[in-house]
Amino acid sequence: MKKSRLRLIAPIAVVTALALTGCSTSNLGGSSPDDPAGDSGPIKIGAVLDVTGAGASLGVPEQNTLNMLAKQLKADGGIDGRDVELTVLDNQSTEDGAAKATSKLIESEKVDIIIGASRTGPSLAMRPLAEAAKIPMISVAANVAIVEGSEWVFKTTQNDVIVIERMLDDAQAKGYTEVALVRDATGFGEGVAEYITELGADRGITLVTTESFEPSATDFTPQMTNVRSSDADAVIIWGINPSAALAQKAFVQLGVNKPVYQSHGIANQSFFDTAGDAANGVIAPMGRLLVADQLADDNAQRDVISQFQADYSAAYGEQPNAFAGHAFDAWHIAVNAIEAVGTDASDLREELETAQWTGVSGVFQMTAENHSGLTASALILAEAQDGRWNLLEG
Amino acid sequence: MLTDFLQLTVAGLSQGSVYALLAVGLIAVYTVRHVINIAQGEFAMLAGLGSAWLTAAGMPLFLAILIAILTVTLVAIVMERLIIARVKKLTPLISIILTLGVSTLLQATMLLIWGPEAKGVPRFPGSNILIGGVSIRSQEFWMIGALVVVGGGIVLFYEKSRWGKALRACAEQPVAARIVGISPVTASVLAFAIAGFVGAVAGLVSSPIYLSLWSGGVLLGLKGFVAAVLGGFVSFRAAIIGALLLGMIEAYVAGYIASGLRDGAAFLILILVLVVRPQGLVLKPTAVRV
Repeated sequence: MKKSRLRLIAPIAVVTALALTGCSTSNLGGSSPDDPAGDSGPIKIGAVLDVTGAGASLGVPEQNTLNMLAKQLKADGGIDGRDVELTVLDNQSTEDGAAKATSKLIESEKVDIIIGASRTGPSLAMRPLAEAAKIPMISVAANVAIVEGSEWVFKTTQNDVIVIERMLDDAQAKGYTEVALVRDATGFGEGVAEYITELGADRGITLVTTESFEPSATDFTPQMTNVRSSDADAVIIWGINPSAALAQKAFVQLGVNKPVYQSHGIANQSFFDTAGDAANGVIAPMGRLLVADQLADDNAQRDVISQFQADYSAAYGEQPNAFAGHAFDAWHIAVNAIEAVGTDASDLREELETAQWTGVSGVFQMTAENHSGLTASALILAEAQDGRWNLLEG
Repeated sequence: MLTDFLQLTVAGLSQGSVYALLAVGLIAVYTVRHVINIAQGEFAMLAGLGSAWLTAAGMPLFLAILIAILTVTLVAIVMERLIIARVKKLTPLISIILTLGVSTLLQATMLLIWGPEAKGVPRFPGSNILIGGVSIRSQEFWMIGALVVVGGGIVLFYEKSRWGKALRACAEQPVAARIVGISPVTASVLAFAIAGFVGAVAGLVSSPIYLSLWSGGVLLGLKGFVAAVLGGFVSFRAAIIGALLLGMIEAYVAGYIASGLRDGAAFLILILVLVVRPQGLVLKPTAVRV
């Protein structure tokens, strides 16, 4: 009796609980191209962000930034006398959540342009929907695959390729010849090992071992144990917080004792909050926002960054991080384009392909071929020390 | 090679200790009420987030921990009184639906109060040590120690104390227990209090390295569930051994095969156990042993 009951109940319990963790299927419906909104009435900007779930440390400041900028624009009277309405949807850091939210924005909200998502995986899930509906989309995630060969999709975060180049240049200068990689197992970490192998070959650097982790991972002992017994001269940890910070902590606690590079995915305060002293000595390529106080007076980005910092901290009582900056740039590039040509989707797309913007994450120069608009000059190298980033080289 | 193996074993044992505590909570409630408590993992997250919040506000660590444990135990008791006790005919299926509701409610509450980001309790006192190349983090001692003290204490409580014997009586012979004057109400409250208490301890000792997150309870609870199934949902000892094995298997799978398969390992074990040996690691499947 007892036996058979447990055999019956256990699967039910597991299935119910798994349903909670988000293994639901997506219902996309047919995505017929909608009529573009007319030239009157409110302008609708939609955003799909990782507000909850593994990407929350990115999505929350991005949402804050967009809400703040929408409020500012409303106070300034909108664009050409038209109100601007912002709708932010949470994708819960999942691919199917992002796809559902995008369909909703396109089909029910009839938005003119979409911003998001915060991370690569959800952004890649949104891309085909935006392309099919012919709605311009500006992602705030990193992987170059989001915009490669795309017609309607743009992005504002520095490409992962230039981040890796920056790391490898520094590694080469320091004479490292073998590196180990511990990467995020989702879209953000996709392709990183291949880039390191390929770009490392020109610099005499080989990738000796690759480990991966889920963004929801909490224990990193297996990965760090393998890295510790490898021959690597230096280690690259590629992920976002909190997992990248936990990985950093495990790296130090398990006594791996090798120099560490991290990606631009950790450029926020939560890295220091979680990693604590273990963060000291980490070198990471990132935008200029977190080292704005150390920039030269004549730096082109200095004014826009300090204005953004002042506005954001006045609104939310804390300093903005790099992800807030990506959303700031996406918003301004979108609004500038709408100001120039209105809301006709194909006009907007063409305008975005020529967009120029001196922003928080770098100086953008979009072209038909480059929908990311940033070069390696958008990045600096910084070293973590006692809870802050020190500019190593501009 | 040996160093790596030992390193993974340490990680597996400490992680397994957390699963074991959750399994103890699940079994405590199941044996007395035949309730499968989906909210068991939420108890852990609630304690972790609560005390992370209190310590961030400047409260001394051990006071914050004490308050968190008491609060979560109280939450479990309130859950029993307000929801479980009200249902006249409680089947395990209804219990799953009810506790799923509680779990969702707790998650939403944690999200509203503490936001979507993961938070950690400060590290407990102690220093990391290095033995023959194997680094053991002080927090891992706390995790394993919590299992020894709390888990061991509960096994002793069930076997030696009057209250514990009464609980076992309720589990084995509910009608007879009533006849001899053991109150089923007290037994049920006590079982939930134990579930809340061990859940809170598990969440607190693991929070400094693994962090606490509003949505983190589901997966953690499931791992505890797998361990409880290994214990046939009746035996604390078998479940604790099962939990430690599960932790180690996860660590070896992640270290030697691929880290992405880590969570899959737990569920593969669950399926295998349910198909091949539904009584779990229990040797004498007929007797109710708690």
